[in-house]
Amino acid sequence: MTTLEVRDLTKTFHRHRAVGGVSFTLTAGRTVALVGESGSGKSTIARMIARLVRPTSGEITLTGPDGEPVPSRRYRDHVQMIFQDPFASLNPFHTVEHHLARPLLLHGRTRAEVPHLLERVSLTPDFARRRPHELSGGQRQRVAIARALAPGATVIVADEPVSMLDVSIRLGVLKLLDRLQREEDLAVLYITHDLATAQHFSDEVLVMHRGRIVERGPGDDVLLRPQHPYTRQLAAAAPDPETRFLQGGPS
Amino acid sequence: MTWSGKLGAGLGLAGLIVLFGLLGPLLTGDPATIRDIGLTSPGGDHLLGTTIIGQDVLAQLTHATRGSLWIGVLVGVMATVLSGIFGIVGAYAGGVVDEAFSLFSNVMLVIPGLPLVIVIAGFVPADQRGTWTISLVLAITGWAAAARVLRAQTLSLRNRDYVAAARVSGEKTWRVICVEILPNLLPILASQFVFAVVLAILSEAGLSFLGLGAADSSTLGTMLYYAQNGFALQRDAWWWFVPPGLIIALFGGALSLINFSIDEIINPALRERPRRRRDVVATTPAVADEDAVLTVTNLNVVYQGAAPVHAVKDVSLTLRRGEILGLAGESGCGKTTLAYAINRLHRPPAEVTSGSVVFDGVDVLALGPEELRAFRWVRLSMVFQGAMNSLNPVTPIRAQLQDVLRTHRPSMSTSDREARCVEVLRLVGVDPARLGSYPHELSGGMRQRVMIAMALLLEPQVMIMDEPTTALDVLVQREILNEIKRLRDELRFAVVFITHDLPLLLELSDRIAVMRDGEVVEYAPAEEIYLRPQHPYTRQLLGSFPSLTGERGALIR
Amino acid sequence: MGYHLRKVAFYLAALWAAVTLNFVIPRLLPGNPVDILMAKLQQRGGSVDPAARQAYETLLGTGGRESFAQEYLAYLGSLLRGDLGVSVSAFPAKVSDVIGASLPWTVVLVGLATLISFALGIGLGALVGWKRGTWLDSLVPATTMLAAVPYFWLALILVALLSSGLGWFPLNGGYDVVLDPGWSPEFLGSALYHGILPALTIVVSSVGGWLLGMRNMMVSAMSEDYVLTARAKGLTGSRVMIRYAARNAVLPSVAGFAISLGFVVSGSIVTEQVFSYPGIGSKLLQAVQNNDYALMQGIFLVITVAVLGANLVVDLLYGLIDARTRDRSTVS
Repeated sequence: MTTLEVRDLTKTFHRHRAVGGVSFTLTAGRTVALVGESGSGKSTIARMIARLVRPTSGEITLTGPDGEPVPSRRYRDHVQMIFQDPFASLNPFHTVEHHLARPLLLHGRTRAEVPHLLERVSLTPDFARRRPHELSGGQRQRVAIARALAPGATVIVADEPVSMLDVSIRLGVLKLLDRLQREEDLAVLYITHDLATAQHFSDEVLVMHRGRIVERGPGDDVLLRPQHPYTRQLAAAAPDPETRFLQGGPS
Repeated sequence: MTWSGKLGAGLGLAGLIVLFGLLGPLLTGDPATIRDIGLTSPGGDHLLGTTIIGQDVLAQLTHATRGSLWIGVLVGVMATVLSGIFGIVGAYAGGVVDEAFSLFSNVMLVIPGLPLVIVIAGFVPADQRGTWTISLVLAITGWAAAARVLRAQTLSLRNRDYVAAARVSGEKTWRVICVEILPNLLPILASQFVFAVVLAILSEAGLSFLGLGAADSSTLGTMLYYAQNGFALQRDAWWWFVPPGLIIALFGGALSLINFSIDEIINPALRERPRRRRDVVATTPAVADEDAVLTVTNLNVVYQGAAPVHAVKDVSLTLRRGEILGLAGESGCGKTTLAYAINRLHRPPAEVTSGSVVFDGVDVLALGPEELRAFRWVRLSMVFQGAMNSLNPVTPIRAQLQDVLRTHRPSMSTSDREARCVEVLRLVGVDPARLGSYPHELSGGMRQRVMIAMALLLEPQVMIMDEPTTALDVLVQREILNEIKRLRDELRFAVVFITHDLPLLLELSDRIAVMRDGEVVEYAPAEEIYLRPQHPYTRQLLGSFPSLTGERGALIR
Repeated sequence: MGYHLRKVAFYLAALWAAVTLNFVIPRLLPGNPVDILMAKLQQRGGSVDPAARQAYETLLGTGGRESFAQEYLAYLGSLLRGDLGVSVSAFPAKVSDVIGASLPWTVVLVGLATLISFALGIGLGALVGWKRGTWLDSLVPATTMLAAVPYFWLALILVALLSSGLGWFPLNGGYDVVLDPGWSPEFLGSALYHGILPALTIVVSSVGGWLLGMRNMMVSAMSEDYVLTARAKGLTGSRVMIRYAARNAVLPSVAGFAISLGFVVSGSIVTEQVFSYPGIGSKLLQAVQNNDYALMQGIFLVITVAVLGANLVVDLLYGLIDARTRDRSTVS
């Protein structure tokens, strides 16, 4: 079973510690949510796992489905990333076909799989010919998900995948990710600032504050019965119409 | 002229000159041949007259144009390659390489080019000054500005997510540069190339005019050199010295027009707009609700153009005194256009095509420019989404608060103004010592507080807030919301609060209008919207937010 | 390192690069400048003793007799002493004296013309950008064409029209030669009169660049949120235009001053030649035509120092008008 283990990960930028001693494990078939505000270090963790940023110290080890450690040059066959802004993560110059065919070819597959990839993210094959500016935000993010799946990835790091999308399509994209995780037995790291979706779409929630994980556990435990003061503050800060209208709270 | 008009004119003119240089020499014969006794003015035999020794000016002009163009292209290519190496490769490599390359480019940039070229040309014996030598020297002294532009652009491109995505999929570095970055630099490369060609032709002309050009070439500059030394000016032989310079100016102008249109293609904001029209085309007689402070009736706003966009359709809203009215909708639904139109801040091509806006008895759409200016901020102030960008980055907070008072309360004394600024900052919980700070020295939350303080300065009856908390973190957002609620309770102003975040509005507002595609699809008290939403879109929006307090799987309703 | 320190360090580096270029160029290029100079010196009746030869070799190279490092040290030494050698075209004057006599003409002409052109271009550019969508837009293509006109050709045309044709201005020179140079009102008046056409040439040729750059930045600035805020605040139109839009739009023009100044200086050299203006540009060409290598090098160095100095001043000013630069940590 594929597992990605992060042990004691630390990243320091110009003497500023962005991430300090973070450890967790991603396992096939499970979604781990990493919750925090901007500057908490959550995106740096995503970038270290995607090998875009080199850790200052700590280890990231990947074990393949066969239980053997995955060698470094095969790492990217397994670990892929979905970026926050679908308007920035697709190259405006290239077609959807290019975005999907390149990772396929780089990982020993063929161009012929493009239509199938599009289908997996609920897009029709004729999207292959289009360019990013012809797509809506939601469609772009689906293409970005397909690109992450193209190398046959088993570990997906999704860095705020819906925060730049219109609210009415966010759930659709999250549900798609959720479905893929279950159907294809993926290990997913869902990075977000939104407590509610973290609770709904993950098996485990990690709360980050100033580069450290301050609280962790199953979503309902962490968010309905927060222990750490910071988590409590976060939970209390979210807009809350229910108290106003359903429980007769202050208006 | 539109950008395509400019591009067409530029390409046409440049094309004609290139054709003139390419084909002209085939038709006009040997420029060195002596045809008459000299200095004949233009006429039948010699369309552009002759030089002092009787050579045909037109024949010289065609050959010289060819020579100048050839050097321009040579230098253009070499300089663009150099600037690409130092600008693009350096910026992509980053670290020490980038530092070194960028330092080198900047040094080359500040050392004046032509004096250096003159010195180099001065040291090279005249018989060794060939076209290639001169071109090389011009390229070496002329690439640095382009390298700086390319570096800036590459630095911004290499941090784009699609470059990171390509690296995550395992692309090699050279492929990332050539396939992912380079195509997006093409417009800029093209414009830098065009610029390098113009610069090369101009510099070469100057050099040749001084007698320091290539020994084996004849260019427009050489022609001017001979004209100057043949006393063309003193002998009024305008046909000799006017045409070469005109060709340079026309060609340079044509290429600049091309560059201009490239700029406009890259940056649509630069494109020419149709002439300024009225911001209000037609209105309907004002209708006002007695206890309302703001009444909007059947307001329509259209973005005029080839395909007009009806951004606000027949919107009617009333804002009661001290009320918080929520305006909910997704991007492009017209909520911001509506907010701007209420204060007539919408810009061409947007026009109010019908409807009325009445503010406490004042027909806003009928105000003259000066009345409108006096109305703004005094009666109705605004807080915008980008607290980051809403404050002027180059002046301190104090100046930005004070100029509101200076404009609307001209009789106020300096000390009273200062006192008022201190007072409003205290109201929003910002240390008055921050008055001397620049916006970049404040955090996002603090900047938004300053904006709210600014909106409070003149104690307006209404505040329009356009996504005031969207760019902020959850905790800061909560603080600002609490601040708004508190101030509203203390000062009793009414608020139009615009956001895509329906749960936030449900918590905050008295009434909510839900907008989609320019229309208000539902308009009801917050409790009604929450408990008994009528329109399917309202239900869809409500269903988009998972509830935090419910068990896993439960959405907000 | 603070912003100001970094700027000063950068310009010192640039100065060092220019000095070194000056040292390397005559040594790397073909030809034997020292021999040519000595021959010229002999023609002029100067002494051709070993001391004179050695002075030139310090500047232009010994042809391999001494090591590069030794030559370089000797060269830097003589520069520090302000010794730029003896000019052969103005023999027996020292290079530094020749430069000293012609530099003020150029500094005043180019300095004033650049200031006028900058102020005019920025002012008009701000106005054209602000009044977008009015007849002022038609200025843009016209200015584009103007910016592509070669300086010296424009000078020729102006002379043909205004001097030869209408007789309004003198054909050439920097002052009326019957007058003695000095601070007398007649002389200053004459110098001003002679300076109008060259200055007009520089202003007309360079104003377009400033205008277009400013206009484009103005248009961009006008779509910024802070301008929208300023309008919503009910400020007067002129206040929004000047304090908010133009105040921000001018920054790139100031930051890009170095590039533009280089063009202006290059254009002025050729312009001086057309007017036979007694400035440093004319002297540079004289030096080139007479193979007066020592003078050539000296002038190049002085022009470079002047341009670097002007850029340093502008960069330091930039630190004053944009508070953000003082907190940034990037190099120039």
